[in-house]
Amino acid sequence: MAAADSPSAALRRRDLCSRGIRLAGKMRSDVISLLDTYVERQGLDASASVAAVEGVPVAAVEHWDEQGGTQRLLENLAAYRAFRTLLAQMLEEQREQLGEADAALGRALAAVLLQVSAFAYHLEELLRLESSRGPPSEEGAAAPAPPHLGLFERKLRGLGVLQELAQWAVRSARDLRQLAKLSPGSSSVPSPTESP
Amino acid sequence: MFSGWNCVAYGLCLLLNICYFEASDGLVQSCGHIIPESPVLALGSNFTALCILNESCLDFGNIYANQIIWKINNRVVPKEQYREINRTVSSVIFNDTSSLATLLTCNVLADGQIEQNIYGITVTLGLPPEKPKNLSCIVRQMSQLTYPMTCTWNPGRHTFLDTHFRLKYRWPQESFPDCIPKGANNSCTISDVQFFVNLELWVEAANALGKAESDPLVLDPIEIVKPLSPHNLSVNSGILPTVLKLSWENQISGAVMKLKFNIRYKIVGDTNWMQVPPEDTASPRTSFSVQGLRPYTEYVFSIRCMKEDGVGYWSDWSEEKTGITTEDKPSKGPPVWRIIDTSRSPASWTVHLMWKALEPFEANGVVLQYEVTVRAKSSLSSPPEKYNVNTTNLTLKLPNGTYEVTVIARNRVGASPPSVLLIPARNSKAPVKNVRTLPKDGKLWVGWTAPNSYVLKYVIEWCLVSNSSDCIIEWQTESGNVQGTYLKGDIKPFKCYLITVYPLYADGQGNGQSVKAYLQQDRPSKGPTVQTKKVGKAEAVLTWNHLTVDEQNGFIRSYTIFYKTIDGNETAVTVDPSKTEYTLSSLTSDTLYTVRMMAYTDEGGRSGPDFTFTTQKFGKGEIEAIVVPVCLAFLLIVLLGVLFCFNKRDLIKKHIWPIVPDPSKSNIAQWSPQVPAKHNFSSKDQMYPEGSFTDVSVVEIEADDKKSFSEQDLKPFDLLKKEKSTSEGHSSGIGGSSCMSSPRQSVSDSDEGETTQNTSSTVQYSTVVLNGYRDQTPVQVFSRSESTQPLLESEERSEDHAVGGDSTTQRQQYFKQSGGQDETNADRPCFERTKQVTPANEGDLVGFAQLQISGQSSQPLGLGLEKNTQEAALPDVLQASTEGQTVRPETEEGNPLSVDEMPKSYLPQTVRQGGYMPQ
Repeated sequence: MAAADSPSAALRRRDLCSRGIRLAGKMRSDVISLLDTYVERQGLDASASVAAVEGVPVAAVEHWDEQGGTQRLLENLAAYRAFRTLLAQMLEEQREQLGEADAALGRALAAVLLQVSAFAYHLEELLRLESSRGPPSEEGAAAPAPPHLGLFERKLRGLGVLQELAQWAVRSARDLRQLAKLSPGSSSVPSPTESP
Repeated sequence: MFSGWNCVAYGLCLLLNICYFEASDGLVQSCGHIIPESPVLALGSNFTALCILNESCLDFGNIYANQIIWKINNRVVPKEQYREINRTVSSVIFNDTSSLATLLTCNVLADGQIEQNIYGITVTLGLPPEKPKNLSCIVRQMSQLTYPMTCTWNPGRHTFLDTHFRLKYRWPQESFPDCIPKGANNSCTISDVQFFVNLELWVEAANALGKAESDPLVLDPIEIVKPLSPHNLSVNSGILPTVLKLSWENQISGAVMKLKFNIRYKIVGDTNWMQVPPEDTASPRTSFSVQGLRPYTEYVFSIRCMKEDGVGYWSDWSEEKTGITTEDKPSKGPPVWRIIDTSRSPASWTVHLMWKALEPFEANGVVLQYEVTVRAKSSLSSPPEKYNVNTTNLTLKLPNGTYEVTVIARNRVGASPPSVLLIPARNSKAPVKNVRTLPKDGKLWVGWTAPNSYVLKYVIEWCLVSNSSDCIIEWQTESGNVQGTYLKGDIKPFKCYLITVYPLYADGQGNGQSVKAYLQQDRPSKGPTVQTKKVGKAEAVLTWNHLTVDEQNGFIRSYTIFYKTIDGNETAVTVDPSKTEYTLSSLTSDTLYTVRMMAYTDEGGRSGPDFTFTTQKFGKGEIEAIVVPVCLAFLLIVLLGVLFCFNKRDLIKKHIWPIVPDPSKSNIAQWSPQVPAKHNFSSKDQMYPEGSFTDVSVVEIEADDKKSFSEQDLKPFDLLKKEKSTSEGHSSGIGGSSCMSSPRQSVSDSDEGETTQNTSSTVQYSTVVLNGYRDQTPVQVFSRSESTQPLLESEERSEDHAVGGDSTTQRQQYFKQSGGQDETNADRPCFERTKQVTPANEGDLVGFAQLQISGQSSQPLGLGLEKNTQEAALPDVLQASTEGQTVRPETEEGNPLSVDEMPKSYLPQTVRQGGYMPQ
């Protein structure tokens, strides 16, 4: 927290929170849009809901409001690092499956992947400001090797990843907004009503 | 260029194969090589090249490094730049590579004479890349999810080398593949960018001589977005007539950025846009109500957006959409004016009311009709008359008086406020002064000086003055606080406008003040046609007609008359434009002049057709001064001639009109004893109806009596007398029968004729006396003719002696009255006649008259002058002679003449003009 005491650090933190919130909002918007495309292209039912997918972090949490800032950031970072890996796998699988025939889906996946990476960067920067230890190493959180799944299972898992990512986008926006409230000069942070 | 040099180098290499030898392995090897091989050099840098000879060639060709010659494009490099490092290596140094050409060759002089090429290299010159500058980027939204970013930079100077540019960008934790420009070296487009993360961008330029990078640009792409403009714009009219509601859709997600907007609008047909205040549209929205619009007006709307905080770029303007506001009641009454025609009857007006259709922004809808109310101010008791019309004019016949006219425009929503026009019985108020015009900015400005009284408003009338069309009045109203305005209408250049300004007061109006004006003047379209009205010797009066208004094209400021002779200089005279006549003076007489005339406006002049005239040779009165005296002189001469002729008329008569004897007056009739009884003709009674000759006295004059005249008196007439005697000889008259004789009626008595011939040996004639001459019935009297000559010819000759029918007539009358005096001398009546006429110098002629009477009584004297003198002298003479003498002819008729006397009367005359030739 010491790093956050300086004015520049506070500005940096506020800027990171603000843009993180916007990025989360755009990410959610894009993921929602991608979900429609994905369901359509993969031949899935739009109403299909995947209860839980192994390896996919869950956004829902109990006692959310009791969490501290760093904890929130760490959970978010872990989730997005996981999503980054999962989305990369999905992109690879999608390319293998559809080749260049469905470039739009691939571009949308790549865009979401980039946004996940960008958000992870935001979280890492915030963690550097929040904690002197900085973000944890990614090696420890390395995702396990993808299990050997069938095609349909992969499609379902992809659907689960996107649905959960959409949930995380909402949660992340709230986490960052909560984080911004704790810091002084948070006026520039968008209000909850403005957030998507 | 480079390819050309390469070809040359290649050719040289082929030609110089002698410096190559076949190696044992079968490949062709050169005797040396250059280091470095095909270098790329920076312009202006130093360069050193080495030519290394193969050891094998040393022995084979006796070629050593000291024989090496360096050439650039076949131009020998100065030896100062050479250096022999050892016996196989030679170097050359270039301090400035900018002088270095493409091809550098190493050559040797074999056997000291033959130059042979050893090796050649191609040198490439260029510049290292500069650091790219001014890197900037923009994200142009292409679709709802596509945000390509285009970055541009300044690539720097031209390097003359193949230089590659790369746009590099990365996130702090992640790098992206470079963006490589396609077809350009100063821009590159990244297909998709992610927002809300700072992106570091820079440009790297690289070529064979080096690499350069621009300064990095760190930005969040969301800050450089140019979003797509809102679309699906729609315009809906609201409840209020001044409001339109706009709706649209944004093409960028609110999750990406929040937007603010600009809304612009204009009336259809206008060019200038109006804009909704930006602060009203600074927040995200998809609709907006534009207020303060005009009712029943069609507007065009357009909208654009950008990031709410103003960071980034405005989008393009959206497509334009139109909407129309609803109607409202007219905001004002139509301007109204009148034209009063009093030509038919002074007591009755024909009033043409006219009003202007309201402007759309005043009408606020479709005007359905106008309500016109005319109220006579003089008789307040009479109700106002109302008219509902659809047009903008109304013609009424009204008695002379003061009226108040009210016009109301009505549309679907309601009625306008009334427009009131007061028509006074006469314009008795103060008029405006100093009406003037000024063309300005392609329009015609009219100014005036306001009267002292408060003016409600002004009416400006104008019309185009033309010969080809009537003056169609246009008008406009201006408020009372202005003193000038532009004419609102299609004012054409080069046309004359008559502009009248009327001041309208609350209780009347002033007389109109007029002025003529042109928006723009030009030269006249033609010049005046000049012609002469009168041409004199040294002056000419020129006349012309004014140009018509249509031909003037401006105010005619002056006329200039140019005139010249054929070979003379042209003279110009400036004439006042009001004149239509001018007198050229000091002209040369009898000279052909060419004259033309130019009419000038402020913009120049134009000449009319040439007209030629010739001045007169004589001035006014000169001809009269010559002719009149000549005529007078002629008249004088004629008069003198007439007088002379009159005085000599007898002589002239003798020569021109010889007397033709009238047979009816022949005296021979008197010889016949039977005749007297036959003489009593009524014609004679008619001639002398009163019987005035109541008494007859016969005078006999003896031939010898002439002696009674003094010799002195006779002398002057001797010659004349001789002539008369000779002329008497061919007279047909016998014994003075000088009067008319008729051949037809003269029947000669042969016996008597013989006697006469015997007596005189001359031709004797009988004379037939006819009592009717001309208007008298001829007397059927035959007298004896003593002549043997043809009677007619003698009569013709006798005309020379004729005195006149009157004398004869008188004589016969006398005979008749005297009761058959056959022997009456034929000459007597002649004397009596002359006695009656006379006026002349008696004294001079007394002797002559006596001579005539005594010596040649039977013959009338040939010249009138003589006769006159005789007549003048006669009164006294006759008095004397008649008393004591008888008339000789009577004696002659009764008794033949004596021998002495006969030749005087009957001898043939010598031939002369008009004379008698005996046969």
